[in-house]
Amino acid sequence: MIYPKKLNSRKSKIIIDVLLIFTMLISAILILINKLTTPNVSWAYIAICGFVYFWVTLIYSLKRNTNIAAHILLHMITTSLVVLYIDKILNFTGWSICIGIPIILMAANSTMLGLSIIDSKRYIRYAIYQLVIVCISIVQFIIAMNLNIDFKVLNIVSVIISLLNFIISLILSYKEFYKIIICKFHI
Amino acid sequence: MKNNKKESLIWRRLDNSAKIYPLSTGRKYSTVFRLSVLLKENIKPDVLQDSLNETLEKYKSFKVRLKKGFFWHYLENNPKLPIVEEEKEYPCKYIEPSLNRGYLFKVTYFANKINIDIYHVLTDGNSGTIFFKEIIYKYLEKCYPKELENENKRIIKIEDNTEDSYIKNYDKYSKSNGIIKSAYKLKGKKIRLGAVSAIHQIINLEQLKDETKKYKATITQYLTAVLIYSIYKENYNKNSKKSIKVCIPVNLKKYFPSKTMSNFFSYIFVEIKNKEVWTFEEILEVVKNEFEKQLKEEEVLKTMSGNVKFGNNILVKAVPLLLKIILVRFAYIKIRRISTITYSNIGRIGIIGNYKNYIDNFLMLIAPGQYERVKCSSCTYENNIVFTFTSILNDNKIEKSFYNFLKNKGIEIKIESNGVLDDIS
Repeated sequence: MIYPKKLNSRKSKIIIDVLLIFTMLISAILILINKLTTPNVSWAYIAICGFVYFWVTLIYSLKRNTNIAAHILLHMITTSLVVLYIDKILNFTGWSICIGIPIILMAANSTMLGLSIIDSKRYIRYAIYQLVIVCISIVQFIIAMNLNIDFKVLNIVSVIISLLNFIISLILSYKEFYKIIICKFHI
Repeated sequence: MKNNKKESLIWRRLDNSAKIYPLSTGRKYSTVFRLSVLLKENIKPDVLQDSLNETLEKYKSFKVRLKKGFFWHYLENNPKLPIVEEEKEYPCKYIEPSLNRGYLFKVTYFANKINIDIYHVLTDGNSGTIFFKEIIYKYLEKCYPKELENENKRIIKIEDNTEDSYIKNYDKYSKSNGIIKSAYKLKGKKIRLGAVSAIHQIINLEQLKDETKKYKATITQYLTAVLIYSIYKENYNKNSKKSIKVCIPVNLKKYFPSKTMSNFFSYIFVEIKNKEVWTFEEILEVVKNEFEKQLKEEEVLKTMSGNVKFGNNILVKAVPLLLKIILVRFAYIKIRRISTITYSNIGRIGIIGNYKNYIDNFLMLIAPGQYERVKCSSCTYENNIVFTFTSILNDNKIEKSFYNFLKNKGIEIKIESNGVLDDIS
């Protein structure tokens, strides 16, 4: 080998196609849950907009070779704050906590999963960002549980997805991850 | 600090050819070329870093950063040191100076390979090779001090000359070769996510020479003809009104006295017009005639002078840089279409004495663009000529056809690639 291992064009095509189908499937499931649980609030379409937004970010960052995971994390935090702010100025009904932020978290998680598959050499880099996403997921979950809101399904789903995603990354790069944790936290 | 400040005041103009690159290039059209050396042992990054730093002290013309002036870009001494990195990205990617400590070249390594990616603003393949060889010599001397003790004492006369040889040699009264029509564009889907495929065909030089002798052709002529024939067979739309045009850079140091380390090259175009059936022999005949016709000194002078005169035009000079960038980028939408493919042969890379014992091979690559989606390059080392395809097309039919043609002629070829496209077999 005279070059670092890069993903074969045929394989990357398959991965992207599979991820696209996966996104479409999740979107369909969300629409179904939306219709069955809260047909008056079309939150599933907001989630689909979120998926589109993260796909555009993913493709753009991959083409430009920028630190994609950091981009996604930054976008996730800023959009969550914007959603929270909009909810607050609209007399805070809690939709940002029980719908908005969980959707953003799910979209960020699926993008991170996509990244880990496409750019397998950087599992470890993504695992660190996923750890941050897990922490944010847990925080929003705790807040949701303490709020007087009926609809908490998405909070539960998003925290489960975040944890699962993080565990997958850990399995893929547990040795490197262990080293990084020791180094970062001076253990 | 004081010293750094003083150093930063040293600046120079871009040579006539380089002036256009910062105006026209970007991520999609990088004009970056790569030289690689394959050594017999894995690379030691620290030693490579030291070797690069020492070489830069000798070749100050490379220790520069690009700055914007009011009318043109210029080069200024760079007080920072470059950082050697492990190769992670696709070859010949656009060098973003702000992310590269201002440098217009990048040295990377992977396993037993050292790469240097050079932005064409800095220099051409010929002078780039001189700089790269010095890094290699220094690196080997540090790695094998005892074995290369005698070689170590070599006296190398370094001529870090940065004169603009275009200005020195052009003819004011020469008439330009006129407007060139747009060429056939290679068809096919692009590889996703900005990936670049690199396929190296390592050809036995002696066997190739024997084959070219049968046709009384040079190696460059012969390989150009094989390339055109492969495009004609595998990609050319026979109903297209456009011709297949190959752009071939020409080293002007062979024509004019120059020791510059800046750019000093020109180019010729070989054109194969649309015809129902082309045989390889017919294509080779056209290639030979075009080479003969266009490589006459007066013709080379004409092409070179035309470009220099444009850059020296008072009206062009007077346009502010910002406006120049907009105008040139707009003009380049058309200019980029004048060739189907580029094939650059930098020739033999000569390595002195016992240094050869530690070197396996050399590679050269040039960045493909949005219009010229495949680019080819070659270099010769010992008894190998390495012909490289860099491509953003998602199929390797042209590469396969090229390989099969030479294989069928009984020439030994080995393949190396970066694995983005499927292997050739």
